[in-house]
Amino acid sequence: MGPVQHELAGEPTFEPMIQVDMEIRAFVSAWRHCDYVSTYMARMISQNRSDSVRHSNLFSSALNELLEVAFRTRHAGGDLACRVSRHGATDRIELTFPCVPGDRQFYQEAVSQVAGFEARERYLSSVSGDLAPSREVVLLELAVDYNATFRVEEADGDAIRLVVDLPLEGLRN
Amino acid sequence: MSPYDLLPRFKAQYDANNQEFSISGVVRPQTADDLGPSIALLRDAIGRVRGVLYVNVRRLTQMNNAAFHAFSRIILDACRARPDLKFVVITSSVVGWTSRKFGRLSGIEPNITVEEYDSEFYPGQGFLEEGGFVPILRTQTKMTWRHERAILPRHGMRPGIVMADICCGIGDFAVLVQKEFQPSRIVALDHSMTSLSYARRVMREFDIRGIEYTYGDASEMLLDEAQFDLVTCRHSLQIFNRPELILKELYRICKPGGRVYITNEKNSHCLGEPRSESISWTYNEVAKLFAHFEMDVELGPKSRRYLLEAGFEDIRVESFMVTNLDGDPQDFADVIVAWSDVYAGEMAARRGDGPEFVERFRQGFQDHIFAALHPKGYAGWPIWVASGRRPQ
Repeated sequence: MGPVQHELAGEPTFEPMIQVDMEIRAFVSAWRHCDYVSTYMARMISQNRSDSVRHSNLFSSALNELLEVAFRTRHAGGDLACRVSRHGATDRIELTFPCVPGDRQFYQEAVSQVAGFEARERYLSSVSGDLAPSREVVLLELAVDYNATFRVEEADGDAIRLVVDLPLEGLRN
Repeated sequence: MSPYDLLPRFKAQYDANNQEFSISGVVRPQTADDLGPSIALLRDAIGRVRGVLYVNVRRLTQMNNAAFHAFSRIILDACRARPDLKFVVITSSVVGWTSRKFGRLSGIEPNITVEEYDSEFYPGQGFLEEGGFVPILRTQTKMTWRHERAILPRHGMRPGIVMADICCGIGDFAVLVQKEFQPSRIVALDHSMTSLSYARRVMREFDIRGIEYTYGDASEMLLDEAQFDLVTCRHSLQIFNRPELILKELYRICKPGGRVYITNEKNSHCLGEPRSESISWTYNEVAKLFAHFEMDVELGPKSRRYLLEAGFEDIRVESFMVTNLDGDPQDFADVIVAWSDVYAGEMAARRGDGPEFVERFRQGFQDHIFAALHPKGYAGWPIWVASGRRPQ
């Protein structure tokens, strides 16, 4: 596996660390796959962080939420690919999963809203609200509490790729 | 169903005496419905308490948004239905996300407060970690290492093992172990950010690999159970007010068949010649001073009992005396100067000791230094080493 290249100007090179591929049918056959995959990947990539145990705990927490988002895909075929790469203090999660057209639109909009100035207020309002947390709230929380940044890319087939940068190394309690 | 599905992942309980609802472990349900009994327990607890309900999440290692929303919804609703009721959420600074996540609730409802239970933890830590104590800690380790490098193999140390050094302080013991014994992996944990920063800096400067320094609470660690061949915990049970809690955790993370290695002092047995009486009086007073702050620096010989009561077997105990004849006597003297500064300084002042007592107290340290540097003198600092095997 070579370095992850993106076409954005000025984008640093992220070095690949680990990738897990699963058929989406197998992935959604058990809810605990989210927990299992996030815990495993977090441990693998955190060994050389300044505080491996703390980093692993935080990374697992963030990745699990993203995997739970992918778990709820309404598309029955294709593959899930979860790839982690690193540039300095930032770890990048690239989560590729099949997606129906309506959801594709949803993710585009959700990611643009997460980047907005009101992200914090929107997140707080969701915590105090009655509704169970939506996929958008999950992304908002990662942006507000983990300083995550997002973008969505088209992927092969009916898939999209959520690209999430997590600067956990510098995150204070 | 796989064996993984059968593992208990979290536990919720209610302690009526303390009006405390606690939830621990990994809570990642698919929907709130999966949490039925725990949610019911929280509702029931809210219905029973008066004044304040403590919500203890300090051992909560993971909680997904579905679960967080389910529990927080009940707490927020209760705040609105019962303005007389206050909620105190108790988090741990060790779990990086909990204070931030639960802290959001206090921004929504003023009757919810969030407290990090370990922010003022370890009564001895404040005295010992600040104020230039690092060089003295290094000197102490240098002096004890001369003995421990020969002792450790009798307590399970060997190349290639996976080990943890709990309460690692500035990390110098872990570095010495890495160089001498080449374990395959060392996890070194401490609750002092200052000490860990120092340890990481040393590791970078000297390009040391194979040691993972981690911030943690020795009495409630994030480390998985049964993963280490050897767990060391040096000079720390004696400065913790409930050493049995740490031992329980050391036992938990140790592999069955692995060993837990502890070292502790019996300060009243520090000795010197000449001027032995003055020295002996002062170190007896040191023990009383630490006891005032709920630390037992007489713990060394009690190690066997503690290990047995924690469930260990094949207990091995030995002791050694660090003396002025180990290397440079000035090193020994420097350590005593630092002890005198802290014990007869800040600690005595905080206990409210008068000038007369402090003067006599200091004199014992001066006499110990005198003995250490005297051409015919002898000065000693005894350490007890003990280890126990976790049953298979």
